Parts: sequence; C-alpha cells; structure tokens
Amino acid sequence: MALPSRPSLPKSSSEISHEDSKGFSSLRRLLLAPEQTELERLKDRLEDFRLQPQDVGRVLPDAIRLRAQQDSRLLASMIPITQEALSLSIKQSPQLISDSIAPILGPAIRKAITRAMRGMVQSLNQTLEYSMSLKGLQWRWEAFRTGKSFAEVVLLHTLRFRVEQVFLIHKKTGLLLNHVVAEGISGQGEEVISGMLTAIQDFVRDSFGQKQDDGLESLRIGDLTVWIEQGSGAILAGVIRGAPPMELREVFQETLETVQAQFSELLQSFKGDVTAFEETRFPLEDCLQAQFEKKSQGLPLVFWILLGLLLLGMGIWAVQARSDQQRWAQLLERVGREPGLVVTSVQDQGSQSVFYGLRDPLAINPNEILSEFGYTSKQAIFRLNPFMDLTPEFILKRAMLQLRPPSSVAMSWEGTNLVLTGEAPHSWIQQAQLIGPIIPGVTHIQMKQLVDTDLKQFETLKAKLEGETISFEVGNSILGEEQRSALLSISETINAIDQLALLLGIAPHVQVQGFASPEGRKEVNLHLSLLRARGVLNELALGSFRAASIEAVGMGPAFVDEALPPNGIEDSRGRQVGFRVVVGEDRVSERL
Amino acid sequence: MKEGALIHKKICMLGGFAVGKTSLVKRFVTGQFSEKYQTTIGVKIDQKSQKVDETDMVLVLWDVYGEDDFQKVRASYLQGSAGYLLVVDGTRKETVDVAGQLKALAIQTMGSVPYVLLINKSDLRDSWQVESKLYEDLARNACLVLETSAKTGEGVELAFAELAKQMLKA
Repeated sequence: MALPSRPSLPKSSSEISHEDSKGFSSLRRLLLAPEQTELERLKDRLEDFRLQPQDVGRVLPDAIRLRAQQDSRLLASMIPITQEALSLSIKQSPQLISDSIAPILGPAIRKAITRAMRGMVQSLNQTLEYSMSLKGLQWRWEAFRTGKSFAEVVLLHTLRFRVEQVFLIHKKTGLLLNHVVAEGISGQGEEVISGMLTAIQDFVRDSFGQKQDDGLESLRIGDLTVWIEQGSGAILAGVIRGAPPMELREVFQETLETVQAQFSELLQSFKGDVTAFEETRFPLEDCLQAQFEKKSQGLPLVFWILLGLLLLGMGIWAVQARSDQQRWAQLLERVGREPGLVVTSVQDQGSQSVFYGLRDPLAINPNEILSEFGYTSKQAIFRLNPFMDLTPEFILKRAMLQLRPPSSVAMSWEGTNLVLTGEAPHSWIQQAQLIGPIIPGVTHIQMKQLVDTDLKQFETLKAKLEGETISFEVGNSILGEEQRSALLSISETINAIDQLALLLGIAPHVQVQGFASPEGRKEVNLHLSLLRARGVLNELALGSFRAASIEAVGMGPAFVDEALPPNGIEDSRGRQVGFRVVVGEDRVSERL
Repeated sequence: MKEGALIHKKICMLGGFAVGKTSLVKRFVTGQFSEKYQTTIGVKIDQKSQKVDETDMVLVLWDVYGEDDFQKVRASYLQGSAGYLLVVDGTRKETVDVAGQLKALAIQTMGSVPYVLLINKSDLRDSWQVESKLYEDLARNACLVLETSAKTGEGVELAFAELAKQMLKA
C-alpha cells in the first residue's frame, strides 16, 4: 500500500522543542494511527520471535497433510506418541475408550458371531437332516465312491448357490487387495487368480475393442460362475457355485461401492501395500452368501422310521398292556370261578399283588393257577385261610376221598342225597353205610341202585342149587356113580353158599328134600323119600359150615306145588332129591 | 515403509519369442498354472513371496507372450506394473531389437518404472551373438544388467531381488 508522502520538516529534529514534539506526536497519531498500531504489533512480534500457539494451530492441519503426502516419516514419528497417548488414555479413563469403541466393536462382534453361528447351525441342520435319510445314505455312498467328504457332497446336492470366494482387485495393477473365502473352502493362488482374471478381462476388452470401463461381467465354468463388478478403482469378483439370484449382483455392487467410497484415496495412491485393505474384510464377507434348497415338504425317512418304531413300540406296549390286562382279568375270573377258592380281596403291595381269602384243602393249589397264567410268586401270592366248601362238588370229592369206592361204583349228588350206583362188594357197602353219614355235607346215602355183588352171587348160587336134582330108580334110594359124580359139584355150590352167607352175615338153611313117585303107599313113599334125602346128604362132601345149616327132609310123594324144583323132570318126578335154601325172610329182603 | 506392511507388486516379463522368460520364471517360482494360457490369452501369471529389507513382498509375475511377427504384446497386460524384466536372448541378436520395442512400449504404458535387463542363456556363452555394445541403449536406464541362465540358475534370484528392491524404493 502506498503511504502518503511525508510533509517536509521545517526544522531539524534537534531543534524541535518539547512542545513541538508533543504536537508532532499528536499529529502523527491522528494521521497514522492504524499503521502505527500495526507497526507496533509487528515490532513486538519481531522482538518476540517465539511461535504463538494460535499461529501453529492455524497451519498445523495443512502442515500435517502436506508432510504426509511427501513420505511416511511424519506418520512413523507419530506412531510411538500416539500409541503411548492411547495407552495412557486407556489406563486413565478406560470407560471413555470403551464408550468410544463400543459402537464399532459391538456390531462387528455381533456380525462375526452371527456369521459363525449361522454357519454352524446350517451345517448342523444339514448334517442332521441328511445323516440318516435314504438320500443321506446315497450321498454317503457317493462320498465314499468319489473320495469327497460327506459334507461336500451334501453341499453340492443341496446348494442353490453359494459364494465361495470374493476377490477385491486393484483395477489398475490387477493386484489382489483382499480375498475372503466361505467356510470349508481353501483359497489357493488367489493372487495369481486375481491376475488372471484381470488378464482375461484385458484380453476380452482388447479383443473386442471395448472401452476401458467395460469389462467382463460374468464367467461360467461348469457349476461355477464368476461375477465381476467393475468399479473406478477396484474390481470385485465373486466365485459362486450354483445358480445365483440377480439380487446378489446388487449385493456385490453395493459392497464395491462401499469399499470404493471408504478407500478411494488408498485406491488412488495404491503402491502395493495391501495391509490397509484388511478392513474391507467385513463388507466382503457380507458377500459370502449362500442359499440351500428348502427342506422337502415331506419329513425325512429317519422321522418316519422313528415314528414307525415309536408306533410299533406303542402298539406292542398297548397289545402287551391289553394282553396283561386281559390275562390279569382272566386270572381273577379263573380264581373266582375255581371251586374251593374264595378271594375276598386283592391288594397291590409294590410290584406284587396279594390275594386274600379262603381255600378248601381239597381245592387246587392256587400257585398252579398263577403258573397257568404265566405269573410268578414275585408278581402275585395267595394268603388264604382254610375252610370247608359244602358245594356238591366238594362233598363228592370228600366222599370219594373217604369212601374210596371201587371203580364199579359211581357217586352223584341229587338234592341232598349222596347217590351211589353201580355194584360193590358187600363189605364196602357196609363201610359206606357207616362212614357216609359222617362226611360233612352228607345227610343221607342212597344205595337203591347199588348192587351188592356178594348178595347177587349168593342168589345165583342159591338158584343154581335149587335147580339141581338127583334122580333115583323106582323104589330105590341107592346112588349110582352118575349121581355121586353130580353131588361133587353140588357140594361145592353148598360150600360156596356157606362162605357167602358168612360174608353176608346171614344163616341160610339148606334142605335136602327127598321125593318119591306117587305110586305106592304113602308111608312107604314118605320113608323112601327120606332115605333118598339122607343118602344124598350123606354123600355130600361138605366143609365145616360156619353160617349155613343143612338137613335131609323126606317129602313123600311128589306134589305139584311150589316145593318142587322148578325144573322138575316129569319122567323122574317123584323119584328124586332136590335142594331148597331158606333164608330168614326179613334178612334177605333187607338186603334186596 | 510401514512396519508389518505387505507389499504386492506386479512385474512383467518382457522379451522376444523364445528368449527364455518362462524358463526364468520357472526358475524363480514353482508354477501353478499351465503354460497354455500364454498361447491362449498371451499371458501366464505366477506369484512369489519375497522379503526385501525386512519388508514382505508378493511379486506377481506376468509372463507375457514373447513378441514375434505373429503376435504383439498386449499393452493392457503391462498396465499397473511396478517394474519389469527385459529379457534378451544372448544367442540371438535380433532379440535386442525386440527388447528395445518392448521397452518403448513399457515406458509408454507404465511410465518410468525400474527394470532389470537380462541377457539370458549365459550357459551358451560360446554361441553368443550379443555384445554389450548392442544393448547399450537398453541398459541405459536399467537398474541392473545381468547375464542369466534359466538352465543353471545364474543371476535369476539376483535379478528378481534387485528389481523388488528398486520397486520398493520407487
């Protein structure tokens, strides 16, 4: 700025009086006050050469930026200071640091955990779903056959699409900035792949004369697709297995835009240091998406097998339970029906059922019923008190036991009577008559239809004897050889009658009755008949009679009356001897 | 350079047809991809991790198809390269001219980046046709000129190490 020209001084400075000097100062102040102030300020600054904070503060941001552009020395020198400051700050106020990084760390941790959990759950789901199904078994065979892991085979079959690798490539150099892979995928030679992808793009672009911004968008190799997103500074390439949806393109585009926005300066000034791009990992990992086939509507085979087994088990259990229930009911019914057993109560004591009640000693052993139904004494026992069952069945049982009837005797119960039928020896009948009435429940024994075999034999012999005749010549009482021979058999019959009489307790009287023909005189005939009877009696070979008695009776001329033997022979009528057995009517009738 | 940094650099192998670029790369790395890529799209890429002055580096080697009468090197493959190896076949002097053309292409595409000039096939030195005079121009701005042999391995490691070092400095 041009200063106004100074007015010429009228006097030398030494000549200036004090008053003039004062006036001159006033004038100068009036004329040059702003410049004067500025000059004084500059003078002060020149005299005090130290840097002022406000001056430094004004230039510091630009100074740092400019210096950092030159090289990294400033950054290197700031590292230890920054680290120390950070360390001190953490020590002094950890909460402040914690609060500051929480908004960043929280989502990052959540994201990482979610991703890990998603992968784990998905893997677990697939393994569970396919491990036991029919399809799973087929795939296991395929895995065995092809040498692939089961997980890999499952993945290949269930995958709709899966982004296996994502490359972030520096556009200008083709160098790999970052690379992320899906779980289970191993990256190999990614730097070279990145270069080749760039080279292929260049090749295609050159070959078809396209602009620099144009580029290959998609490559397809078998089941693999490579989608390439072109940015101004970077390229994002995703290697996808399966058929990716178009929405995935948008994800790739958005990711690339985000990365380019965040790292635009670094991309522009990229000189090969890829460490700075490590932070792109999270956005890139968001591209590692996958979609699997939805579960089939049907449930897996393993479910049906398990359900089938469960139902079968339940069915068996139900049938078993039903069977057990029926068996138990049948047992109760059987026990209730069993004669001689009276169950008053059944109590469950732990795993054992106890039957309380009464039992006739002649009834079946209840344990046999338990065995019959497949129960053991651990499952059920009987605690029964003895009693006497007076039903006909048990009366008969008891009678059988006590009377021990021969097999030819049948016992039955009619009304209140014990009825004996058939035939039995005389001695047993006598015993039955004695014991029968004292058998509990028996008040009367009916034996009308019971045949006394001994008595029957007696009657038979009696009839036989009374049918025998010994014939004589006219007027003669002498026994010939033929008669003597016949008398031997008759003797045996008479002896047998005596034996039976002894057994039967009767005393029969045997009459040897002599007869004569009606011709001649009565007295002579009477005498002759007696002689004939005596002759026969004498000729009989009798044992010692113990019950019967015998006598010879002369009947005289024979009469046609009931005293004649039933089989009297007309020719010899009157000249013969017959036999008659007389039993006390009362006693005999009593037996009959 | 930041401590703990991982530096990736793209390197191009440039040279005429059959000068031994692929063999040199083979010497340097264990290749992963088939060489048929070179005949299909004109480049094969390999990588090698290298430590240079305490800095971890990944060298991505673009082995570009040797230029001849039938196929030109695609300039797009050279883009973004931080350095290159310019290879001449010591037994064929015509490869010097090809190298010269490729150098010009490299400068045009990449700008002034470090490069190492390799006179390859030093194992066949008896039948060399290339003398240092011939490649004076090529060697002028090279950070190193080396005689190499992919067969014996002579100079190969050194060539890559030097180029990596120069790229870091650049």
